[in-house]
Amino acid sequence: MITEILWWFFAIAIVGTAAGVVFSRSVVHAAIFLILSLAGVGGLYIFLTVEFVALVQFLIYGGAVTVLILLALMMTRLDATGAPDKLTGPQAPFGALVGITLLLTLVGVSLATAWPGDVDDLPTNITIEQIGDVMFTSYGAPFIIASALLLVAFIGAIVFAKQEDEV
Amino acid sequence: MIPLENYLVLSGILFSLGVYGVLSRRNAVLVLMSVELMLNAVSINFIAFSAYLDVTQITGVIFAIFVVAVAAAEIGLALAIVLRIFRNRSSINIDEAAELKW
Repeated sequence: MITEILWWFFAIAIVGTAAGVVFSRSVVHAAIFLILSLAGVGGLYIFLTVEFVALVQFLIYGGAVTVLILLALMMTRLDATGAPDKLTGPQAPFGALVGITLLLTLVGVSLATAWPGDVDDLPTNITIEQIGDVMFTSYGAPFIIASALLLVAFIGAIVFAKQEDEV
Repeated sequence: MIPLENYLVLSGILFSLGVYGVLSRRNAVLVLMSVELMLNAVSINFIAFSAYLDVTQITGVIFAIFVVAVAAAEIGLALAIVLRIFRNRSSINIDEAAELKW
């Protein structure tokens, strides 16, 4: 019973803060809403018994990615005295149309499909040992490729962000 | 207990909000934040399917971890490109950055 109440609290918080990211008129407010939303998704992973992914979510999204976004906001800020730039373009009604259509389709499909197996049951606990076992046996090669991808991406980011006269 | 459909509907709502943000925002950093919302919706879906339907192989959990790694690479590189656009044009309005060469 308490699990259901907590779950609905988290779900409403995630949807509310995500709406804050998308509809907020201030860039910094949107970034703070994004931190809350990503943390809420991490809390949802605990309900799904994958504590390891929840920790990864808190560390990488809650820590690294949001700090990077706030830093980029700080570095790309125009003069603070000027009138605030309009954040939503004239194409917003069409975006809303696409979003609502997609929402109705996704919700309809996920409710109409008869999922195989016992989908109402308590999810089985997925331990960190199990994740590590599968990760380093069946998915060893993708793991190495992902590390190479991260290395290449961050070298590329440094090259892009470098000042021109320092080259 | 919470049925699987709750997670699917939640991730559908989150993904649709992200799509709306990507299509309607003009600030490049806000577009990237909406992309993060969409990636999170996909991760919720992967992990929910994995926890309910695939508890022996846990493919979805592994996939979600790779999604996090690729999202970190993507956001780092994309923010570097945004910084470069800002330095060249003094604006990160992506409606104005329409030409490929200047």
